[in-house]
Formats: sequence, C-alpha cells, structure tokens
Amino acid sequence: MILSLFYVAASIAVLSTVIALSRTNAAHALIYLIMSLLSVAVIFFIMGAPFAAALEVVIYAGAIMVLFVFVIMMLNLGEAGQAREREWLKPSGWLLPGLFALVLLAELLILQGSMDGATSGIAVEPKAVGLTLFGPYVLAVELASMLLLAGLVGAYHVGRSFLARDRGGPR
Amino acid sequence: MSGVNWLAVAPLLVLSGGAVLLMLVVSVRRSTEVACVTTTLIMAAALLSCLWARTAIPEIVTPLLLADGYALFFCALFIGCGLVTAIIAREYLLLRAGENEEFFLLLLLSTLGAATLAYANHFASLLLGMELLSVSLYALIGYPDKLLRPLEAAIKYLVLSAAASATFLFGFALLYAAVGVLDYPAMGAALAAADNPVLLAAAALIIAGLGYKLSAVPFHMWTPDVYEGAPAPIAGFLAAVSKGAIFAALLRWWMAAGLYELPGLLTVIGIVAGASMLVGNLLALLQDNIKRVLAYSSIAHMGYLLIVLVACGMVPDPSLAMEAAAYYLVAYTLTNLAAFTLLGLLSRASGTDELDTVADLDGLFWRQPGLSLLFTVALLSLAGIPLTAGFIGKFYLFSAGVAGELWGLLALLVIGSGLGLFYYLRLVYRMTLKAEPQTQPPSTPGWSARLTCYGLVLAMLYFGIVPAPLMEILRTIL
Repeated sequence: MILSLFYVAASIAVLSTVIALSRTNAAHALIYLIMSLLSVAVIFFIMGAPFAAALEVVIYAGAIMVLFVFVIMMLNLGEAGQAREREWLKPSGWLLPGLFALVLLAELLILQGSMDGATSGIAVEPKAVGLTLFGPYVLAVELASMLLLAGLVGAYHVGRSFLARDRGGPR
Repeated sequence: MSGVNWLAVAPLLVLSGGAVLLMLVVSVRRSTEVACVTTTLIMAAALLSCLWARTAIPEIVTPLLLADGYALFFCALFIGCGLVTAIIAREYLLLRAGENEEFFLLLLLSTLGAATLAYANHFASLLLGMELLSVSLYALIGYPDKLLRPLEAAIKYLVLSAAASATFLFGFALLYAAVGVLDYPAMGAALAAADNPVLLAAAALIIAGLGYKLSAVPFHMWTPDVYEGAPAPIAGFLAAVSKGAIFAALLRWWMAAGLYELPGLLTVIGIVAGASMLVGNLLALLQDNIKRVLAYSSIAHMGYLLIVLVACGMVPDPSLAMEAAAYYLVAYTLTNLAAFTLLGLLSRASGTDELDTVADLDGLFWRQPGLSLLFTVALLSLAGIPLTAGFIGKFYLFSAGVAGELWGLLALLVIGSGLGLFYYLRLVYRMTLKAEPQTQPPSTPGWSARLTCYGLVLAMLYFGIVPAPLMEILRTIL
C-alpha cells in the first residue's frame, strides 16, 4: 500500500519532468516543474523526512518557482501579453497539473495516519536535522555558503552588462 | 571542535576569510591592481599557513575532513597554482578594460574548492569541493563576456559539468543506499561485505561523473572546446588545478576505501586509461590550435595517471604506485600550468589577442627568445624528455606499471609518448622557423609575471634533475 503510494508519486515526478522539458511554452513548463518538485516533496514525506519535504515545498516549489513564474509573466505586459495570458489559462494548460496536484494531496491525506516514516520506519525530526547540520556537518554548511557566494558573484558578473544596459549606464 | 582542529584546516580558513576580505576591499575600492595584490597576499598567507598547520596533523576535523600530510601537501600545491594564476591573470586582465575584480574573488573561491578536495574524507566534502571548484570556473571561463568564444566555452562547461555532477550525485545516492556509509574509511569494509546489484549502477554512474571531470575518454569531448575558449590563465588553472584536485581526491578515496581490491573496477579503469592515452594522443596530432593540442595532451596525461590506479590493485603493497601517482600529479600540474602560462605571456608579447594557432608560433624564437626557450622547456617536460619533471614522473609511472605487470597499458603508454613527442616537437620546430617581419614591437610582461615563469621552469628542471627531495617528502606523507 505504502509502496504503491511511492510509485504513484515517483511516476508523477518523472512524467511531469518529461512534460516540463518538452513544453514550448515557458509558463506551462514551469507549472509542470512545480508539480515535479511537489511530487518529490511527497516522496520525501513517504520516506520519513517531513522536514525535507517542507523545505522542498517552501523553497523550491514556493519561493524559487513562483519567482520564475512572476518574472515570465511580467515580461509579457501590454495588449499582446494579455492575449497570451488568456491563452495560458485555457484548461489544457492547467487540467493535468491540477490532476497531479489532487493525486499528491490525496496521498498526503492517506499518509496522515502514518506520520513516522512510512517506508523507512524512522521519521527525521527538524531538531535532528539541525543538530546534524550544526554538529558534525558544520563545515559542510560553511562550504555551501562559499558555494553560494561563488554562484552569486558569477551570476552578477554574467548579468552585469545587461543590468547596465537597462539603466542606460556605461557597459 | 577544539583549537587544534582549527589549526589543522588553517589554509581553508585563510582562503575563506580571504574571499570575504577581498569582497570588502572591492566594495571600498574597485581596482584591478588592488584586487590582484590582495589576492596574491591571501594566497601567500594560505601557503604559509600550510606550513603552520603541519604542527597539528594528523587530525580528523569533523567527519568531513582529514588533515594529514597528504592533504596539506596537495593543498599547498593547488594554492601555489592559484597564486601563479593570480599573478599571470593580472597581465591578462590589464590588457582588457572592465570590471576585473570579481575574477580574483572567483579564483580564490575556486582554489578553496581545490583545497577542500585535498582534505576530503567524506562524500559531502568531496561533492562540495568539486562544486565550489566548478561553479567558480563557470564564470571564470566566460569571464571576457563580450567575446563569443569564452561564452560558448562557459555554456558548454556549465551544461556538461552540471550533468556530470548530477550523474555523480545519483551514483553516490545509490552507493549510500547499498552500503549506508558516506565516509571513506568505513566504506571499504562496507563494500567488501556488500553484495548488491545496485552497486553496479552506482559504480557506472560515479565512473561516468568522475571520468567527465577528469576528461578521460569517452567523457572527454568538452575539453578541447572549453580550453580553446577559456582565457589562457584560466585554461591553465582548469588543466592543472581542476583536474589535479579531482585526481588527488579520487586517489585518496581509492586508497582509504580500498577500492583497488575490486577487480571489476580495475578492468573498467584500465580500459578508460588505455582509451584516453590512445585517443588523446591521436587527436592531438590533428590539431592546428595550440590550446587544443594541450587539451588533448592533458586527456592523454590523465590516461597515464589512471594506470597507477590499476597498478595499485595488482601489487601486494600499493605504496610505490601511490608515490608514482603523487609524483606524476605534481609534475603534471606544474608542467601544464607552465605551458598555459607561457602561452598566455607569449601571445601578450607578440601583440596578438591570444596566440592560438600553430602558425602563430612561426619564428617566435627570433622575436621572443627568452619566453620561447621557457615554453620549449615546458613542452619537453610534457613530452617526458630527461632532465625535466615530466621524465621522472613518467619513469615512476613506468616502474609502477612494471611492478603491476600491466604490459598492455605500458605498451599504450610507450606508443602514446612516442606520438606525444611528435606533436610537442612540432610546436618547438615551428618556433625555430625563419622570422617574419614584425608588425608590432613586442611588449614585455611585468617583472612579477616573468619571475613566476622563471620559478615554474626552474621547479620543473629541479624536480627533473634532483628528484630525491620530493620523493622523500612524498614517502613521508603517503
């Protein structure tokens, strides 16, 4: 029973990723990507990592992806943009992702009865995650912060000329 | 975590603190000169802190890092390469207007990644070090952002490197699922006991990921394009430090987890090594671009190095093979760094933007005798001619191969070296051709860059003529 829940969530993850890759419309692709991230969160939940599942939803599906969607939508202002938005809101765009989301929600509701690690038998509490991260793995956290710094500086350097051009400043 | 712990990872702390310091310096005053001097000082301080950290080893610093002689030695080697790159990059960047300060910040972070790899004793630190190294390199390769070729190289490296990291990570996940440990020492025992078909998939994924990062055949196709497009100092850093650090980390994993006792793995590595030697050398023959020649030759050199991993499993005591690998790695790192560095300086001195094609070398001996001579030494060391570090390294590899009775791989090593001799000497020959009338007066590089080049070439000759001290050091740390 529990295992079949995993397989359903995993197939949704694979399927929605494949659809996301094959969409020509960026907004639709992003919706499917969000579905893929949500299904991964459900998989985490089934495996007994509710904290990782919550982070996956809050950070990836929540913050990052919604930011993506907003940016893409804001790039299409004006009359043509409105027409395009109406095009995006056709049922063919949201029906399948909506169905996926419903299935995932149903899985979560079924799992409510068995909170403590459906497949592994051990639920990892947020406190345990924190203790590990700031105990033996504290250097990994620091290294990851340096990794983010490298990504930030690199992104700034690549995006710099575009920013300068938008402001009309010197390149 | 006690005070001694911190001392043992002093180089990492100096580099990370230095990155933050440099960021503050850049925010106060934007100047290539200031950023370059600050970076040079930070790298020098990190290098000195390696000496200081020697008093605290051996020490296990959290489960992630193991500070021992091996870690400090390779840490010092990679920081030294970072130092050389910073000095040479100044020459390169001063020719090009724009915001150059981020270059040094990324270089520091990239060196930090390489240093972490030297310390890595756990998959988490291995992966973080590797990613830190590559993420900084994405931006460094595409740093001259108004040119098309660096951009193309950066995108190629970004996409393929990210795919390789994903493959690698998936392999780790499967490995963890099968054995349940992530640190090297515990993994050896767990692997010996485990009998799980998942391990086969894990091994395939990890070999593909690592093969990509080391640019071993058949995962090599990105190398020539990326080297060709990257700025010369970064191409040198990529060839010397990026590959060297990943090989150093792989070597430690190989020994600590006793992977050489798995016969299937030895066969696969043997095939990859043979293919790398053959394909790298054959394709290098066909190139008209010097950076591509050096790129293919670095593929072949990785093939030579992989022989050692196989040899470890064929002998009762792998210490000779380890020593050979470490010596060759030092020689390889020094020589490749020197070759790319001199190429960058030669092109500056010749007035062209980047000296790329073999035809650009024509008559360089008459125009730039000093630099050409040094470049010749670097090429001879790559070819493995006696009296250079490359020769001793190859000799070491050969003896390790003989001890392991790997006749097939040794035959390929000999054939590859023969082919290599041809295309390296072809470059030297082009430089001796009749001088063409000069279009532009050559500008000499600054004293710091010249001094660095002399240092690199002297080190190459020193390790080739008097190899005993380095051998002694390697024997004590392995």
